[in-house]
Amino acid sequence: MTENVSAASTAAEPKHETWGGKGLNAAIIVAAVLTVAGIACWAMQLSGGMVQTGMRNLDSWGLYITNFMFFVGLSAGGLIISSVPNAFGMKGFGGISKVAIWTSVCCTCAAIGFVVVDLGGPARLWELFVYSNFSSPLMWDILVLGTYLVLSVIYLWAYLRAEAGRMSHTAIRAISVVALIVAILVHNVTAWIFSLAPAHEFWHTALMGPWFVASALDCGTALVLIVCLALRRAGYLALDQRHVANLAKMLAVFVLVDLYFYACDLLTSGYFGGEGTEVVAMLTSGALSPVFWTQVALMAVSVAILVVPKLRTTPGVVVASVLAILGVFCKRLQILVGGFQIPNLDMPGVTTQYAITNWQAGFTGAYQGMVYAPQPIEFGVTLGVLAMCILFLLLGLKYLPLKPAENVD
Amino acid sequence: MHYGFAIDTKRCIGCHTCAVGCRMENHLPKGIWWNRILTKGGEDMDTPEGIFPDVTMSYVPVACQHCENPACVKACPVGATYKDPETGAVRQDYDKCIGCRMCVAACPYTGVRSFNWAEPEYTIDFECGGQNVPAHQKHTVEKCTMCWHRLAKDEEPMCIRMCPERARYWGDLDDPNSEISKVIREREYMQLLPEKGTKPSVYYLV
Repeated sequence: MTENVSAASTAAEPKHETWGGKGLNAAIIVAAVLTVAGIACWAMQLSGGMVQTGMRNLDSWGLYITNFMFFVGLSAGGLIISSVPNAFGMKGFGGISKVAIWTSVCCTCAAIGFVVVDLGGPARLWELFVYSNFSSPLMWDILVLGTYLVLSVIYLWAYLRAEAGRMSHTAIRAISVVALIVAILVHNVTAWIFSLAPAHEFWHTALMGPWFVASALDCGTALVLIVCLALRRAGYLALDQRHVANLAKMLAVFVLVDLYFYACDLLTSGYFGGEGTEVVAMLTSGALSPVFWTQVALMAVSVAILVVPKLRTTPGVVVASVLAILGVFCKRLQILVGGFQIPNLDMPGVTTQYAITNWQAGFTGAYQGMVYAPQPIEFGVTLGVLAMCILFLLLGLKYLPLKPAENVD
Repeated sequence: MHYGFAIDTKRCIGCHTCAVGCRMENHLPKGIWWNRILTKGGEDMDTPEGIFPDVTMSYVPVACQHCENPACVKACPVGATYKDPETGAVRQDYDKCIGCRMCVAACPYTGVRSFNWAEPEYTIDFECGGQNVPAHQKHTVEKCTMCWHRLAKDEEPMCIRMCPERARYWGDLDDPNSEISKVIREREYMQLLPEKGTKPSVYYLV
């Protein structure tokens, strides 16, 4: 720990003055304006009705819930990256821990934001705490996500206290162990929202939990890498290239584990024949095949860049990280749309404008391509939540003491 | 008591009268159908299965299956969808529903749950249907209530009353002497998606 931070701080000094200033303020203003625009879109969605979105009875979740999964995943990495070294007393990435935790906090806020904008009646949110039904995986998720957010903030605070010499390292270790457990739980519980109900063949698999953890690890690590490399470039913090290489190798392993889980799931679904074969066909050659193969290609290229030492340069790592994150987003999209793409009762009946997207084409026509496609208002609201996440991130960087400290015990 | 339905698919002619009766009785908004008559086998509604001249036509009326083990009830975070212990009907409380659509995603029976994607609009501009039917609300999930307001008055659900072919049975599955128990005992039947473990309370006589 000590060794790592001192290595980081020596490199940090010469660039200190270049950080902040007009560029940062301008970015904060842009993010704030976009956040407000997003809130305006959300108000439009609530007053004019969710009929303006692409969601319908037979494809009842869309871009918001895709992004919810995605941001829960992103939030994990940061916390796991910063807590694993602390929890297990490894020499880790002490210099970037605080930034990583803050990234987690912002992504968790975005994840909560995406659930809220998806609700039909956000004014009834309070009912969750009054009429709580503890058998609902969504209820579990709300509890765990809330705990996770609070815990991340406590962890960050404890970290700062420890740096000021007012908290023992043992306490930090204890908090980081708890944080790590909750981080892993958050991903599992998010997976259980999809996998516990028997309704959709694609979702109803025990692998969903571990798979979500794997995806969280790869896109979370990738995000931490991008943020830290960007901050190093901006002169905010220093990061030894050795640590970048270590993180990059970890990222490669996580991406491979993610792909491995997908392969296991597809083989188990498709091998024997039966209902699972339909899922495999939908992914590999059906309506979702463009998204599926894009994911495989993105992840394969990402791993290639990360494992070949010659390609593992700073720009190379950034590119590989972006590819990994995009790959995970493709996977989230497949999980969400894929669940609705195969109807259990595929018998035609009365089709109305509220039943399914593209309802004029009749029942079979509606399932020709992807059963769900987002509408402009959804992009507007999504952009707003994304801007809010970036706004929090920038405000934190500006006003919170997240820079690597010179003396951590 | 455990109320259930039995639908004689040999008698059903696909006239949609039960579905329309349901819409009228429950004053359903435009575009919302709690009870839908699905055509078996064809590409589109009312198209036959097979190739001419070897064609057959049959229908599967599908509404909420009022499962004994309902996936929706477990999934709802606020208990807005719940099982009535007295009758076994799966009910929906519009005032509680937060519009998260967990129940829609959890229910294996494609399309039995409807979300009011906009402010409810009606085909006719005055109230119709049964008394004490709760008002439909924008951004809440709804579905067949087994005509809860009629059960409260000891009347049978509207779809049962409307069927011109007398193809629908409804009654207490726990009572061995009820008409529905007898017909299930005597006839061959199938259920929708029994492999999902939801234990539906709707029987299709074949």
